[in-house]
Amino acid sequence: MSETLVITSGKGGVGKTTTSASLASGLAQRGHKTAVIDFDVGLRNLDLIMGCERRVVYDFVNVIQNEATLKQALIRDKRHDNLSVLAASQTRDKDALTQEGVGRVLDELKQDGFDYIVCDSPAGIEKGAHLAMYFSDRAVVVVNPEVSSVRDSDRILGLLSSKTRRAEQGEGPGPQHLLLTRYNPARVEAGEMMSVGDVEEILGIPVLGVIPESEQVLAASNSGVPVIHDAGSIAGQAYGDAVARLVGEDVPMRFLEAPKKGFFKRMFGT
Amino acid sequence: MSGSAAECRTEILEAADLRFGQVGIASVRVRSSDPAALKAALEVRVREAPQLFVRAPVVVDLSFLSPHPDDEAVHAMLAAVRAAGMLPVGLAYGDSETDALSLRLGLPLIAKFRAAYERAERTSPSDAESIAVPETGAPAAPAPAGADGPKVALQQHGSVRTGQQVYARGADLVVVGAVANGAEALADGNIHVYGALRGRAFAGALGDKSTRIFCSEFRAEIVSIAGHYRVFEELPEEFAGRAVQIWLEHDKLRIAGF
Repeated sequence: MSETLVITSGKGGVGKTTTSASLASGLAQRGHKTAVIDFDVGLRNLDLIMGCERRVVYDFVNVIQNEATLKQALIRDKRHDNLSVLAASQTRDKDALTQEGVGRVLDELKQDGFDYIVCDSPAGIEKGAHLAMYFSDRAVVVVNPEVSSVRDSDRILGLLSSKTRRAEQGEGPGPQHLLLTRYNPARVEAGEMMSVGDVEEILGIPVLGVIPESEQVLAASNSGVPVIHDAGSIAGQAYGDAVARLVGEDVPMRFLEAPKKGFFKRMFGT
Repeated sequence: MSGSAAECRTEILEAADLRFGQVGIASVRVRSSDPAALKAALEVRVREAPQLFVRAPVVVDLSFLSPHPDDEAVHAMLAAVRAAGMLPVGLAYGDSETDALSLRLGLPLIAKFRAAYERAERTSPSDAESIAVPETGAPAAPAPAGADGPKVALQQHGSVRTGQQVYARGADLVVVGAVANGAEALADGNIHVYGALRGRAFAGALGDKSTRIFCSEFRAEIVSIAGHYRVFEELPEEFAGRAVQIWLEHDKLRIAGF
């Protein structure tokens, strides 16, 4: 049974690609055969985060336009044999994607026995984002704890309920999950940032995970290693928890509170 | 015998053909019942594009006028349209009253569908105007159901999300869920939101001043009843997050908690 996940947000820069890379890696780590597709045609970031940018020969658009086979275009991850990356094209624009073509590629991936197909959506609500969500069975909406991101996510949730194949066929929207990124418990406690509860209340869908703001995320992106592989970082651990919840495990939320200052820090300040 | 009857029929029908076709036709949305103002507004348009509008057939849409103009006023408006250089050929967007009006005037009614939607409702105009406004904000008596039984409200289960619009045409709207920021709930009748109203709510979209907005958690951006709207740049503290109802009293929006 294969499942198509869309990682989406509406707003740009909230961590969709970082999340796609880590969730796909985490699923592969658990033994699921996984493909992750970059729908951001024209920009191409996923391959950088996955650290395979120098191995991109054929891309998603080539496959859609029958210029290459899917087998030729899939890039095998260097850490996990069961994880494949389908890169976006940098030289085309999103009009190169067609609904029929995307549907064909996803069907072929399912026939090839992929358990999870992770679709990394571009920002916005235009064609690329629409096609990334259109065939999805489940959606992970990435949101930063601030008002504009929450607003855009609400818009995306509306589209997920009306503009997907499931919705059009009257099956209703598939499961929808919230993933909060850049969460800073200290700033939440100071009242400078929306809390998990605030965001959950406004958007009204369950929280899959909360990724604390962490310097390791940027470091991981720059080195082309998805942050989930950095077991020492709290962001990596939080992504690990999110993957566990994605496959149905019941894992308590962590990193929702600011680290307590130790005795010396309390005495002498930071 | 049937052969000759058919021939006879053909002979009779030869005098005229019926053809259905689509023609674009301009519609004049009348927003002022003052014939002089109407004439002046149309004259500007005709002067700007005479080749388009001189002796152009137009459909007159009175649905933006509340209350409904009487026959005499409508005659004056049609005369104003003619005086501006256009030719009114019909009335548009009729509710049951426009339907009756068009019969009296001998004008066709284009887009009759509103009357069909409205059939069950039939609130007389006097009901709409003489609202029994409670002093304190206690709920008003329910709108009288028509002889054909009550008009069923449009139900929306689940939140109305940012950018979405739900319109209950000719009916009340019931939202079981929230109306998000940037979402719009519209109804020709009342609006009930069993959840947070964070976005916009427009009740009485066709001008029924007796309509109300009810919500269990008030955080609206804009509320409007029959075109009388209020923007909430800051939420009034006494109502923020509370269950409230909003109604129109002497053309002023009133809000009260339950």
